[in-house]
Amino acid sequence: MANVLAHCLRSPRVLIALGMVLSIGACAIFAGSLAPHDPGEQNLLSILTPPIWQTGGDPSYPLGTDSLGRDVLSRLIYGARTALLVAFFASLGAMIIGTILAHFSGYFGGAVDWIIGRAVDVWMSFPPVILSLILMVGLGIGLRNVILAIVLVDWTRFCRVLRSEVLVVRRNDYVAAARLLGFTHWQTIVREIFPATLPLLITLVSLEMAIAVVVEAILSFVGLGVGANQPAWGQMIADARQYVYQSPWNLLLPIIAIFLTVTAFNLLGDGLRRTLDVRLVETGR
Amino acid sequence: MTATVVTLIARRLLAAIPTLLIVSALLFCVLRVLPVDPAAMSLPPNATIAEIEAKRREMGLDRPLPQQYAIWLRGALHGDFGQSIQFRRDAAALVAATLPATVQLAVAAMVIAGVLGFGGGLVLFRLRGTVLEPLADLVSIVLLSIPEFLWALILLFVFGVVLRVLPFTGEVAPGLPLPHITGFLLIDSLLVGRFDVFASACLHLILPAVALGLAFSPTTMRVLRSSLFDVYHEDYITQARLRGLSERQILLGHALKNAVLPTLTLAGVQFGILFSGTLLVEVIYSYPGMGNLMVDAVRNADLPLIQAVGLTYCIVVLLINTTVDSLYVVLNPKLRIR
Repeated sequence: MANVLAHCLRSPRVLIALGMVLSIGACAIFAGSLAPHDPGEQNLLSILTPPIWQTGGDPSYPLGTDSLGRDVLSRLIYGARTALLVAFFASLGAMIIGTILAHFSGYFGGAVDWIIGRAVDVWMSFPPVILSLILMVGLGIGLRNVILAIVLVDWTRFCRVLRSEVLVVRRNDYVAAARLLGFTHWQTIVREIFPATLPLLITLVSLEMAIAVVVEAILSFVGLGVGANQPAWGQMIADARQYVYQSPWNLLLPIIAIFLTVTAFNLLGDGLRRTLDVRLVETGR
Repeated sequence: MTATVVTLIARRLLAAIPTLLIVSALLFCVLRVLPVDPAAMSLPPNATIAEIEAKRREMGLDRPLPQQYAIWLRGALHGDFGQSIQFRRDAAALVAATLPATVQLAVAAMVIAGVLGFGGGLVLFRLRGTVLEPLADLVSIVLLSIPEFLWALILLFVFGVVLRVLPFTGEVAPGLPLPHITGFLLIDSLLVGRFDVFASACLHLILPAVALGLAFSPTTMRVLRSSLFDVYHEDYITQARLRGLSERQILLGHALKNAVLPTLTLAGVQFGILFSGTLLVEVIYSYPGMGNLMVDAVRNADLPLIQAVGLTYCIVVLLINTTVDSLYVVLNPKLRIR
């Protein structure tokens, strides 16, 4: 395990991505002490002030203010907290449901496989954006419901990909050996099959986090996200879209924040895939 | 040949019907657990309790859920999706009025995605083994990680706000007439001979279509490149090289033809996803298609309209996927024997 970790950390792609993710994570965790203002604090005397490097910039608002006079920097920092909370818990939830179903489906086959397979098919015939919007109508806005909606939409990603991996792993001799040694089905899955799918799982989680960040931004942009009291990047974009000529920076900054976060998770996923995938390592690519 | 294609598509469409039924039932259930009362919403606020009760009976809301679904399904099969609560108009008519604009956007975006994907794939392949390869690789990953939502905003910012060269709101410039014959503005404006409307509609289509196209081209790029890699290991490429053909002739005359099939299948699958991607792009550019209708309906908890639009999205995506599946069988001689 330590070997694998060291191997991963030698990849520049993983290192850069990890650095980016950790910095964004630090912003999210220490938002309270990093942000110069309360993100909800309105100062109606100084609305839409430009960033500090432009004429008319106010040093107490380094990145300017929005249409209600709220500090853009503080909202960006607290927005990172919202984005990462959603990314972490949504991908965790989708991973747990998807992984369990994928292992059942791939290991037992037969009727179990058929039922889970059809459920995935039906689920995936809903376009994800449409399904998450409809779920948000049903669940109502709020952080917990955004997470729930993403979990309910995205478990199929894990289920479909991992099932085919389980099918491959199951055919290995050591799985048959485990059964011959008297392992129960449960023990075989947990101790022999699950560890073999772990590299793929880690990669998928990283990619899922990128997707969750985007979905959260989209839902907040449409006004069906975490709610007006919690700062979110999508909300900042929707707000800035209306005052785009007066303060273009307000639109650009959250876009950059989303872009960096999504790229970081995708780079991490791609780097991990390259370093963890045994087949790729062996062929030396 | 055409007969087989038609039966094939027909058979696959029939197979999609159970899926569609389950999808519609799920949609119905999710929206029925909502804490909103469609009957109360479709009456004026000063309606009495008795009036609301009468309305509930009229809408069938007092019956058990399976029966409600059966009523709705019967209506839906006859093209009746009920009345939109906020617009007080036939939900099916609202969908029919906005669908052509969305289709127009999706097709334009698909063309752009195809051109960029194939061009980019060829460029990526030509860069193999050069110093630029790692860089191109990194760029393609970064491009891959930008969804249409971000592209739409970035392009709006650069070309609409900073450079101010392209319009980014609506379907045509305000004040121009909207001819209505087929519903497709680009076609209708030409039919009535209003070239100014056509030009304006084209300009308004550029940013949304390019944003969607850019988001969906990197996958095509990477698949084309990797299938070109695979093809180059085949003997006939070595043979072509031994015959003294130029690299260009080998690529365009021999390799591309064989590498194109997996790319085309993927492009088809992508078209299904791209179609639902129009929703956000439409919202960002205030483009009057089904996406804006959906978001409007969702914000106002307009249940009949959400059901109608949501189901239309599912049907279109299912149609695209089924057709693509069938076309794949037609295009791939190896699958045709069965």
